[in-house]
Amino acid sequence: MTDVAISAPSPAASADRERLSAIGFALPSFLILACVFALPLALLLGVSVIGPDGLTLTHYRRLLGTPYYLGVIWNSLRLGLLTTLITFAVSYPASFALARARGAVRSILLATLFLPLAASVIVKAFAWTILLRSDGVVNQFLMAIGVIEDPIRMIFTETALVVGSVNIFLPFMILPIFAVVAQLDPRLPEAAATLGASPLVTFFRVIVPLTLPGIIAGVALVFSLSVSAYVVPTLLIGEKYPTLSTTIAKAYLLAREPGFGAAAGVVLLAIAILVVALSARLAREQA
Amino acid sequence: MTDAAPHLIVRNVSKRFGATTVLDRVDLTIRRGELVTLLGPSGCGKTTLLRAIAGLAQPDAGQVELAGREITRVPPHRRNVGVVFQNYALFPHLTVAGNVAFGLKVRGRPKAEIDAEVERALALVKLAHLAKRRISALSGGQQQRVALARAIAVGPDVLLFDEALSALDRKLREEMQVELRRLLQELRATAIFVTHDQDEALTMSDRVAVMNRGRIEQLAGPRELYSRPASLFALNFVGLSTRIAGTVVGSRDGKVQVDTKVGRLAAIGTFQTGSPVVVAARPEHLRPTATPDANAVSGRVRSVVFQGSRTLVDVDAGAGESLLAELSGRDAAMPRAGQDIRLAWPIAETFAFPAEPHP
Repeated sequence: MTDVAISAPSPAASADRERLSAIGFALPSFLILACVFALPLALLLGVSVIGPDGLTLTHYRRLLGTPYYLGVIWNSLRLGLLTTLITFAVSYPASFALARARGAVRSILLATLFLPLAASVIVKAFAWTILLRSDGVVNQFLMAIGVIEDPIRMIFTETALVVGSVNIFLPFMILPIFAVVAQLDPRLPEAAATLGASPLVTFFRVIVPLTLPGIIAGVALVFSLSVSAYVVPTLLIGEKYPTLSTTIAKAYLLAREPGFGAAAGVVLLAIAILVVALSARLAREQA
Repeated sequence: MTDAAPHLIVRNVSKRFGATTVLDRVDLTIRRGELVTLLGPSGCGKTTLLRAIAGLAQPDAGQVELAGREITRVPPHRRNVGVVFQNYALFPHLTVAGNVAFGLKVRGRPKAEIDAEVERALALVKLAHLAKRRISALSGGQQQRVALARAIAVGPDVLLFDEALSALDRKLREEMQVELRRLLQELRATAIFVTHDQDEALTMSDRVAVMNRGRIEQLAGPRELYSRPASLFALNFVGLSTRIAGTVVGSRDGKVQVDTKVGRLAAIGTFQTGSPVVVAARPEHLRPTATPDANAVSGRVRSVVFQGSRTLVDVDAGAGESLLAELSGRDAAMPRAGQDIRLAWPIAETFAFPAEPHP
């Protein structure tokens, strides 16, 4: 920046150079994304609309026209929405606790948040199947303290699915919200109070708007991760709760219908993009 | 302009943080329309006292009364105070007008009234043209004005300024001091400033409370504070001075004779013989010409510092003592460094304070 200012006194020229260097910095990541993301995506789109007799919308008609597949889409959406909602409800207060914590307490809390990220999703999902099965730790504990007499069915229920999903995606909600909350100037709530705002009014008029960028980032992350989760529904609920992800896998691996799998992939992508774009728009309106 | 009736009363307020006593039985009474500064070094308790008045800190003991209402346990949002914070604490998600309107909106005022009040407040601080701007697009001085407009828009019973000008650069700060004082007088506002800047205190206030270690050491008008400091601390904190340590050898008619390492000096004060004291005088009273009823000390000029309208002359009086004289351009021959000089000053302008263990 300084170099540019010294060597190029004209503001227009320096702005040009800045733009050029910005493009330069973005180029490597752009190329990588183009090769590993944009190109496959274009192929996916192509496969989803090309049948044996040229262009066709058969796969989309099947997906969006049969009650079974509408149910599948609804399952994915439901998993994404429930996970996002519960994760947010847990993460928002937790982020404030984390931001208020100091020293060793904060380090320990952050470590408990980060360390599970090092373990594979499969390991975590399996851990939940062990915890939740009929002779699992949770049932044994509940029976031991006399809350229940016979083991209750937990594994392969929607509750198990959502519990596991919330647990696995929690860090992706807490971290962006915590990052914003930690930046919050403690004088702002004080200023609001001296201006006559009760704690509740301060919360909704000052704290929520100022932490909204973190909330939106967390919601976008967790929703797009949970709506497209594959391992979690496969291990924690299985066949009776088909989602778009499991449908895609089946189409490619078992049914050998790459066109249909591609179409399901496009629908899933569209849902995720829609939510992320909506979040981004909300953020822009606020910013 | 000020009513005689007390408007804000701080009575016997104490506050401790752990083992530290931050406020030690503080009493302070302020009339309506008065501008008072809490002046002191960091850690003297001035900000805590301000926060106790705002309701942002809860005193451990004592009472606060504002506009005839006991508010010691009243939460800040029900106090009707206006606070201008050190770094302004403006809401970054709102525009200039949005910030100024905040206090009126949460009070549920009708929209037309809010708009009118916001316009009036912004006009007062000369920012009407920036109403739609974002806070991040403003300079420090402009943000300061928005913070002020936001605080006055709600018509508070008292305005509290917590080091509100300290983030501005020197020239802007000096301009703001004068402008702010005029504006507050126009509004007949009651205001308390917290600052560690003595110039700000002297410029802005009707009265200055010098605070030290959780207590108010002196509460007086700027002129009296400067010319009749009540303690060595107040003397040191406001303005420059010559200070010479000594021992009282005689006391008569409100005057003491003090033996010092640079000779016997006379000063105003009443002390028992043998008391350790510090004899002090303001630099503008020291003159290179002898006068009757004066103290006089000889020394060698250590440095001469030209400061525009005045010149400060630092004199080494020997035995580790120095004299500080302020000479104006009109004083004939300006001394030069290294020159021998004899400085004299009136006994009536010489104070004696009990020697304190701290400087």
